[in-house]
Amino acid sequence: MKDNQWPRFMVFQQEAAGAPMLHNGSVHAPDIEMALLNARDVFARRPEAATMWVAPADAFYTRTPEELEAESVIARREGEAQSDAAIPTSKPEDYYVFGKLSQQGQCAYLGDVTAGSPSSAMEAAVGQFGDHNPFWWWVFPAKCVLGSTPDEAEPMFAPARAKTFKQQSEYPVVTLMRQLHSKGRLDE
Amino acid sequence: MNKVLLAEYLLALGDDELLLGHRVSEWCGHAPILEEDIAFANIALDEIGHARLWYQLVAELRGEDPERYPDQLAFFRTANEFRALPLLQLPNGDWAFSLLRQYLFDAFEAQRLEGLARSEYAALAEAAAKIRTEELYHLRHSRAWIPRLGLGTEESHRRLQDALDALWPYAQGLGVPLDSEDELVEAGLVPATGELFTAWRAEVGKFLEEADLKLPDADPGHGDRRQHTEHLAELLDDMQEVARFDAEAQW
Repeated sequence: MKDNQWPRFMVFQQEAAGAPMLHNGSVHAPDIEMALLNARDVFARRPEAATMWVAPADAFYTRTPEELEAESVIARREGEAQSDAAIPTSKPEDYYVFGKLSQQGQCAYLGDVTAGSPSSAMEAAVGQFGDHNPFWWWVFPAKCVLGSTPDEAEPMFAPARAKTFKQQSEYPVVTLMRQLHSKGRLDE
Repeated sequence: MNKVLLAEYLLALGDDELLLGHRVSEWCGHAPILEEDIAFANIALDEIGHARLWYQLVAELRGEDPERYPDQLAFFRTANEFRALPLLQLPNGDWAFSLLRQYLFDAFEAQRLEGLARSEYAALAEAAAKIRTEELYHLRHSRAWIPRLGLGTEESHRRLQDALDALWPYAQGLGVPLDSEDELVEAGLVPATGELFTAWRAEVGKFLEEADLKLPDADPGHGDRRQHTEHLAELLDDMQEVARFDAEAQW
């Protein structure tokens, strides 16, 4: 089937100032500004958010440790030959490094590296943050990110804080259905 | 403070919000793309929440129970007791129509809430400030779509222009002062609708023209909050059906 969707954008969210920036999911949008609005509507009505980022999904360079091993990046880190990937292919720029630190966890921000290409950014990331041993590595150029600004935080995220909502478990639906069934009211 | 007049004024504001919220909620599951569906559902919930806030103030001004009275107003009044503008009663049309109505209303409401947030009546000023935070976000969302549709494809431009041609006469109703508003304005309780409309007209007109849209000739014929469209009764039948089915039900 032909994919007629809008481009996909990755969504990151920080729940409070100082909290880790975590991957939250993705949204489709016609452009990055709309992606930020869509991200707010899809992910930040509840629970809370302090900052949100969106970045085009196709700007992401990702590797699992297995893939890295296959590419022998890890081996090179331990002192073997220089790779082609380390040769800058363009003007160095900043990359964000994210890693999935537990099987069920989200990809979390690990730090920044400066590199001339996605593959050399990945190599630098593994060199600097390898001790975290993530299950999945992501690097993407910092310039691709559109983040919510502090003055946007109030209209974007404050309303969620004032909202009360019930967890699904607070509705006694199962008990209620059982009672109705036992009275035979639903069996007609 | 003329409590009777102020309650009438706030009732009209609540009715606008409630009907718009209901119309927007009708998009749930039908919007052209999932993300917009969720955005519209969020907006619908917000608008209905704002209606509730205005109705609670009405309850306080009329000495009614602020917990129960909003439901009474929403679900147990007949069409001729509502005071909503015809603009908010119109069926949804296509997505461009709904989005443009949202933008036109959001832009006006932003002006009005700014005025209401300075009301001499503290409870009103407080509610307006709270609603305003959410409305600023609605406005950002609906506003963002205008140039994208207006300057997008031939089809998106045509649909938005058609929507504007249909909505513009109704939007003029936003500028019609509410019943006996003068006394409330005089007392510093509410802003003058006419002044809000002038500012709105300038801002919205410029923004729409920048999106390559042509403003139709203004026709001020749709601002009477007692002359309802034929669509209101049908909307109320749908919205009130469940509540009226068992008026004593505990939710």
